[in-house]
Amino acid sequence: MFDQSEHQRDAALLAAFAAGDRTAAMALSERLTPRILAQAYRMLGNRAEAEDVAQEAMLRLWRIAPEWDANRARVTTWLYRVVANLCTDRLRKSGRGVALDAVAEPEDGAASVASQMQDSARAHALRDALASLPDRQAQAVALRHLEELGNPEIAEIMDTNVRTVESLIARGKKGLVARLRGRKAELGYDDDQ
Amino acid sequence: MTMTNDRDTDMLDAAFAAARTSAPAPSDDLLNRIMMDADAVLNNAERMRTPPRIRPSWREMLFDAIGGWPSLGGLAAATVAGLWIGISPPAVLGDYSVLLSGETIEVPVWGTDILAGLEG
Repeated sequence: MFDQSEHQRDAALLAAFAAGDRTAAMALSERLTPRILAQAYRMLGNRAEAEDVAQEAMLRLWRIAPEWDANRARVTTWLYRVVANLCTDRLRKSGRGVALDAVAEPEDGAASVASQMQDSARAHALRDALASLPDRQAQAVALRHLEELGNPEIAEIMDTNVRTVESLIARGKKGLVARLRGRKAELGYDDDQ
Repeated sequence: MTMTNDRDTDMLDAAFAAARTSAPAPSDDLLNRIMMDADAVLNNAERMRTPPRIRPSWREMLFDAIGGWPSLGGLAAATVAGLWIGISPPAVLGDYSVLLSGETIEVPVWGTDILAGLEG
């Protein structure tokens, strides 16, 4: 998580970009792209799609730069919201998560192939289930359990209050359980108990 | 209403952990695409800041062609001087006009002899 000075630095770089400074754009790209690409990848599970989302989110940032009000929002908070919206849109349009064979295999050589395949299948099933949740529930659950953000920050990103976030996450998780229960054996959950 | 228990919670935690796989680092291609977008936005903003040049009218083009206000002042002075010389030429110009166009003669248009012929 960025501290206050880093948020101020993001805002200063964005203002410099709006004034025509190209090097400010390079600095912002290097700082922010890894974070938004990771967020998109965790929600979509597909590198090409995650890169498209990251590019689109940064393009929206460049376009909004001249109107940016540093007193109203943080750049990272705004980007979390944009990426979450773009990802839920994509999940919704695809009707389900990405194809299993498009899910990148973990590169950890220590893990067995079977374990890697099981993890991929579980991640894939989770994204399928997220795709079928209402958008706000899916976003809240993803920000809490994939990005591991605190509820106050999620509330800021989703432009709501903490109680609503808690409610969205609780309902979202119940929805996920209902969708995954029928696939427990397929996903190897019985073996873990 | 779907009830959740510890086993469900464990199942979800395992699914979340699987999805929190190590994310890929941005490729050079992605960073280049992002910078190309930034350049396009900057160039567009620059075009918006620079007002388009308006094509001058034919009057403005003529005015510029003769040299603008300084030349127009000289042209006006020369015109006034020419007009003045034409109306009231200096005495010295009389001699030159004789040399150039010959002597001045006077011809009566309504001479008395002609009128006399018309009278019955």
